[in-house]
Amino acid sequence: MNTPIINIEHIARVYDMGGEKVHALRDVSLNIYPNEYIAIMGPSGSGKSTLMNILGCLDTPSSGIYNFKGLDVKQMDDNDLAEIRNREIGFVFQTFNLLPRATALKNVELPLVYSGISRSTRREMAITTLTEVGLGDRMLHKPNELSGGQRQRVAVARALVTKPSIILADEPTGNLDTKTGIEIMHLFQELWKRGNTIILVTHEEDIARHAHRIVRIRDGEVESDTTNSNPVYA
Amino acid sequence: MKISEFIETTRISFEALSSNKMRSFLTTLGVVIGIFFVVLMGWAINGLDSTLDKTFNAIGTDMLYVDKWNWSGGRNWRKIEARKDITYAQALEFCKRIKSAEVVMPQGRAWGRQVQFKNQLLNGITIMGVPYKYALTPSGNVTEGRFFSQFEDMNSADVAVIGYNVAKNLFPDSNSLGQTLKIGGRSFTIIGVVEKRGTFITDFMDNQCYIPLSSFFGIFGSTGRSISIAVKAGSEAQLDEVRSEAIGIMRGVRNTPPGEEDDFAINESQAFREESKTMRIAVYGIGLGLTALSFIVGMIGIMNIMFVTVTERTKEIGIRKALGATRASILVQFLTEAAALCFTGAVIAFIICSGVIYATVQIFELTFPPYIPPGLLLIATFVSILVGIIAGLIPAVRASRMNTVDALRYE
Ligand SMILES: Nc1ncnc2c1ncn2[C@@H]1O[C@H](COP(=O)(O)OP(=O)(O)OP(=O)(O)O)[C@@H](O)[C@H]1O
Ligand SMILES: [Mg+2]
Repeated sequence: MNTPIINIEHIARVYDMGGEKVHALRDVSLNIYPNEYIAIMGPSGSGKSTLMNILGCLDTPSSGIYNFKGLDVKQMDDNDLAEIRNREIGFVFQTFNLLPRATALKNVELPLVYSGISRSTRREMAITTLTEVGLGDRMLHKPNELSGGQRQRVAVARALVTKPSIILADEPTGNLDTKTGIEIMHLFQELWKRGNTIILVTHEEDIARHAHRIVRIRDGEVESDTTNSNPVYA
Repeated sequence: MKISEFIETTRISFEALSSNKMRSFLTTLGVVIGIFFVVLMGWAINGLDSTLDKTFNAIGTDMLYVDKWNWSGGRNWRKIEARKDITYAQALEFCKRIKSAEVVMPQGRAWGRQVQFKNQLLNGITIMGVPYKYALTPSGNVTEGRFFSQFEDMNSADVAVIGYNVAKNLFPDSNSLGQTLKIGGRSFTIIGVVEKRGTFITDFMDNQCYIPLSSFFGIFGSTGRSISIAVKAGSEAQLDEVRSEAIGIMRGVRNTPPGEEDDFAINESQAFREESKTMRIAVYGIGLGLTALSFIVGMIGIMNIMFVTVTERTKEIGIRKALGATRASILVQFLTEAAALCFTGAVIAFIICSGVIYATVQIFELTFPPYIPPGLLLIATFVSILVGIIAGLIPAVRASRMNTVDALRYE
């Protein structure tokens, strides 16, 4: 295969809780290539979210190497990391993390604000993306006027609108019922087909089965890294 | 940071404020009061200055008045009182000798007199006995009628030119010209009204009546009083030259021995400038004190509310950072919000001030402008924004330094 978009080697993340050290990640090495569809699984507290935060440049490892698109993340300053989050990565969270007072449209526009894109272009791009996720008729609703599934669609649209290369989703279906969860998985599948790299954290085997590669984590270490030769299509 | 981002940030700030109207309003009260005092103080000083300029012009910025009395204090009162009167003869001698002045004339003055029109009495009027040349001084501008002529002056004609207040009080809605006014028991025909010269600090200027000097001596006598001499230098640039010549001549006329202090005063419009200094300092002092106090209170309020806002919106900060907001973006966002808060306060203060100023001018009939001077509006706006930025700095820095992951987990 070609060069990895993400390359981590011997990553560790230690939280210092007032003298007591919590080893959230002990030693994780992974290569992730363009247009992969990966599920990260593992029991609660195993370090999945910690790993996602590091991959998404929200957090930095205590030790180890992280190369993003061949660039050493350790060498980057705060602004560089913000730019990577803005342009290269789209986040989808379990709790949606939408701005409660802003409309769906405004929420989707938000990352574009930080890309310095003009108002009219922003609007146009947000409308297009919301329409793609099937919310063309809900754009002026605020999050509390939308169902859980619709909120997560807004969040997906927000992750997509900057056309990032990687989508990181931490338990995107965790707060949704099975049927709505499947709908979101369908969206991810479409994204994968369009060439996006997708990294998905989940508890549920049913959800993980949509991915083409499954990485299992236990106690901050990779337990297994297998190919799913028979992915489910949503 | 890009411009489109900054515009959006400003929009976000105002939206955040309006979603919490009552709290925003209460927070901004300190700033409202602070700006209120700044504007009011600025307006008062501005008005004071323009009033002073008017006063100077009314007195004449190129005029010197040689007199027994000093206009402004600060000197030994007894010493001044012990000065010998300036006699009419001395005044005439002075007028004859001085070369550098454009116009020079003696004038007699009788304070606190009564004038009468029919059965109406008016007290506290200063009767000025002046030559016809008085028409050439700034005080000689008549709005109605005319000043008396050389012929009337020489013949001690019983003609009078009256001050603005005299005309307003005795002839509120009728024409004063041609009417008979009793001054010191003698009947004078009113031939002119002088334009309004006084301001609220020099109201006495309008309570005067001008009659020919010879007529004045006829009523009040020419001895036992000190004559003052009005000297018009011709321009402000010539004041120094004229002043030193005037002092030299006056010392000569009064035989002041060398080395001794002048036993007379040279009065100028500048004397009022001195007087106004105390007033300015008083206004500044009170204004600055109150302003500083309310700004400090206002700043604490704003800082406090910004800390609350930042904490309340921790999650929002996390979301924004996750989506690519830099530290600078977050910093500017909260600084803008604090500045917008103060700016809103300033606008409220401007509205209240405009009302207060307008009412004050109407009620007290001040000569001050009945609106906030535009320059002041600009300064106050700038100050309010600055106050907001200073008060918002620490909370905004705190917001910008937040750890993204922790902020996102905040509930
Ligand atoms: N900010 C933090 N400070 C201290 N300890 C932390 C912090 N975040 C995570 N941890 C600890 O690190 C370990 C891994 O946490 P993490 O959230 O990555 O687990 P997870 O696999 O995502 O679990 P779950 O499935 O419950 O979401 C846990 O023991 C957790 O208590
Ligand atoms: Mg987790």
